[in-house]
Amino acid sequence: MVQLTATPLSALVDEPVHIQITGLSPFQVVTLQASLKDEKENMFYSHAYYRANKVGKVDLEYDSALGGDYVGVHPMGLFWSLKPKKLLTRLLKKDVMNSPFRVQIKLCDLQSPLRNQDTSTSMVSVTLERWYVAPGVTRIPVEEGRLRGALFLPSGEGPFPGVIDLFGGIGGLSEHRSSLLASRGFASLALAYWGYKDLPSQLQKLDLEYFEEASNFLLRHPKVFGQGIGVISTSKGAEIGLSMAIYLKQVTATILINGPNSPYGIPYVYRGYTHQSIPYSLQFLSTNALGFIEFQGIYEKIGVEASQSLFPIEKAHGHFLFIVGEDDKSINSKEHAKKAIEKLRRHGKKNWTLLSYPGAGHLIEPPYSPLCWASKMPNLHWGGEVIAHAAAQEHSWKEIQKFLRKHLIPVVTSQL
Amino acid sequence: MFQLTATPPNGLADEPVHIRVTGLPPAQMVTLKASLKDEKGNLFQSKAFYRANEAGEVDLERAPALGGDYVGVHAMGLFWSLKPEKAFRRLLKRDVINNPFKVTLDLYDSVCLQDSTTAQPRASQMVQRWFLGPGVQRKQIREGRVRGALFIPPGEGPFPGIIDLFGSIGGLVEFRASLLATHGFAVLALAYFAYEDLPDKLLELDLEYFEEAANFLLAHPKIQRPGIGVISVSKGAEIGLAMACYLKQVVATVCISGSNAILEIPLRYRDLLVTPMRFDWECIQIHVSGAVRLRSGNRDSRNEMNQQSVLPVEKAQGCILFIVGENDECLNTRAYAEQAMDQLKSHGRSSGKMLVYPGAGHLIEPPYAPLCFASWSPALPRPVLWGGDPVAHAAAQEHSWREIQKFFRQHFSGTGSKL
Repeated sequence: MVQLTATPLSALVDEPVHIQITGLSPFQVVTLQASLKDEKENMFYSHAYYRANKVGKVDLEYDSALGGDYVGVHPMGLFWSLKPKKLLTRLLKKDVMNSPFRVQIKLCDLQSPLRNQDTSTSMVSVTLERWYVAPGVTRIPVEEGRLRGALFLPSGEGPFPGVIDLFGGIGGLSEHRSSLLASRGFASLALAYWGYKDLPSQLQKLDLEYFEEASNFLLRHPKVFGQGIGVISTSKGAEIGLSMAIYLKQVTATILINGPNSPYGIPYVYRGYTHQSIPYSLQFLSTNALGFIEFQGIYEKIGVEASQSLFPIEKAHGHFLFIVGEDDKSINSKEHAKKAIEKLRRHGKKNWTLLSYPGAGHLIEPPYSPLCWASKMPNLHWGGEVIAHAAAQEHSWKEIQKFLRKHLIPVVTSQL
Repeated sequence: MFQLTATPPNGLADEPVHIRVTGLPPAQMVTLKASLKDEKGNLFQSKAFYRANEAGEVDLERAPALGGDYVGVHAMGLFWSLKPEKAFRRLLKRDVINNPFKVTLDLYDSVCLQDSTTAQPRASQMVQRWFLGPGVQRKQIREGRVRGALFIPPGEGPFPGIIDLFGSIGGLVEFRASLLATHGFAVLALAYFAYEDLPDKLLELDLEYFEEAANFLLAHPKIQRPGIGVISVSKGAEIGLAMACYLKQVVATVCISGSNAILEIPLRYRDLLVTPMRFDWECIQIHVSGAVRLRSGNRDSRNEMNQQSVLPVEKAQGCILFIVGENDECLNTRAYAEQAMDQLKSHGRSSGKMLVYPGAGHLIEPPYAPLCFASWSPALPRPVLWGGDPVAHAAAQEHSWREIQKFFRQHFSGTGSKL
């Protein structure tokens, strides 16, 4: 009797799952298909082919996929290789509190996933729950002063290390990373800054005082350590994260994921001072063979004026963790991090760590998130090779937590 | 006063167009955009950003594009970098007689990213791209089982006869046949499935059908005897190679992106049955875009288990030109062509020639056709990955088209043609 098991059946989305099949014929080739329906009813699918061993068993922790959406030994491959049925759809959990993503894993006919993903029926399947919150995590909507966002607190008394979570050009409010960080013991404030409620509908300037308000809000929360907060930031958010690290002494640990080392496109204002930005050089954009736009060329600096726009990164007091996807097509992330680090070195600073991932793209998310290779409006190519990107997400997530704990949790030394 | 010129404004689709802009301020950044709607209303677009020189000119034959859909000096870049608005659509001219593709060229006096619906161009030109030259006649063919369209150049003839075969797209694809006829050949675009009363699906290759087509051509008063040529791509090239091997009527065969072994479905010819080499479905990988990469499931035609599927090229009486792209993501065409060439050599035949194009993909078409990197195929509900690097692929199309015509002229010149 063929049995398909997956453990645990219900878990946090950043936890691995162990998938096994027993009861097959010796050396039988089987197809495993995963499917997921997101909150907008978009379907995502992945599949892989495995050969059973001589006792009719397949164990994804040891066995190599022969083909499909990935090859090789990848126990979580079915999750991170999920692809949208409708091209350019990005998998993003909106309601992180009340429901999980449900992933169905099933055994099916060899050619089913290629010929009819939607209708392949199977006798053998399991449905897994993938949650973005651990039990006990609370979500507090934030509408204090100008601030708009959601604060996620771990269960327990605290105090907890506080982190501000910033995403990029997507706008609105992305909560999925904050809810996971809270599940891992951090008080995380998912902060919106445009395209959300009564915030500006377009980004025309960045007011650093807004982010200072957010930092102070977090610091004075009774469940947050008062010595300093962290920032985790991606893309345009990382440009802001960098400016916060430089200008706000409240920020003592900053994670910059695939961001520029200078302000681009729109100016920054802080206490009456305007920091001009470097204009985008749109004439250097490129496209890939499918016509998706790659922005990495538009960050070219032009001459001497540009050097005056560079952020004075050497003024930052806290620590930096640069996370770079070397296959990022949206920004030449590796080059930007390199120049920022060079500047720190020239000033004798050692307050940085660089994690540079070959084959990883722009959207480095928590582990097991499917690679979002390109998305709509306009059709943008983010880059990334599926397998390398998955490895980068797994590795960086652990490093992110280590970094935040190291620099935000006060060290209590024994008095003995 | 900006001026945008494109010469010739009406031309054949395989002829270059000289695009120039004059009257600009010196060093002005401009955007040149091309757009085309195919016969189904699908929009294809391309753009590139240029900087005018001190004389306020941009001459696409000399000026490098700084960015956009291509970079560098590419006089025809706007044409071969056209991309579908909806991904995975392939640009294919169906009606070659009645109308051309109409390409609109727009000039914007800045770096312009917006769609033409929101921004106004400063100058526009429309360029017509025809697939049929003056005097070429098209005749619908329904003789015996043969279904297709015959294109005959103007004049008395007789002309070298060529059969044109496309691949798993099915139906009748005429645009290459009509272009080749414009260069002095009598070309029969031949359908073999999913057309009129032909089988809906390709379940078997019946070589006698293709022999009937060859004999039909040879019986035509305006077509040279005693032998015909074949131009064929993809699945068509597999058939073309089989025709070269088994039919003495075939004297010159061009196989573009084909296999040297019969794949997936059997080939039948009189008493002969050739069993196919199957794809290794459990090895087939999915590209990050979701397109199926059939190449990962290709089997090795040199493996002794597959020899009964390999075509006996040493039996071919005529000459064969293999055209392959190294970035073919559908078939390992280079390996297949190399094996065929080795087979010829080992039988002391020097009738084979191979052109290998680094960076070219599977769908090597006439010049200036946009690279189709992946597209919907009738065979699967998912798009199929064809591969190719845009710049290299464009160069391969230009070079191979000239080589194809040279090849046919060389092999037909001995028979008293008028070329």
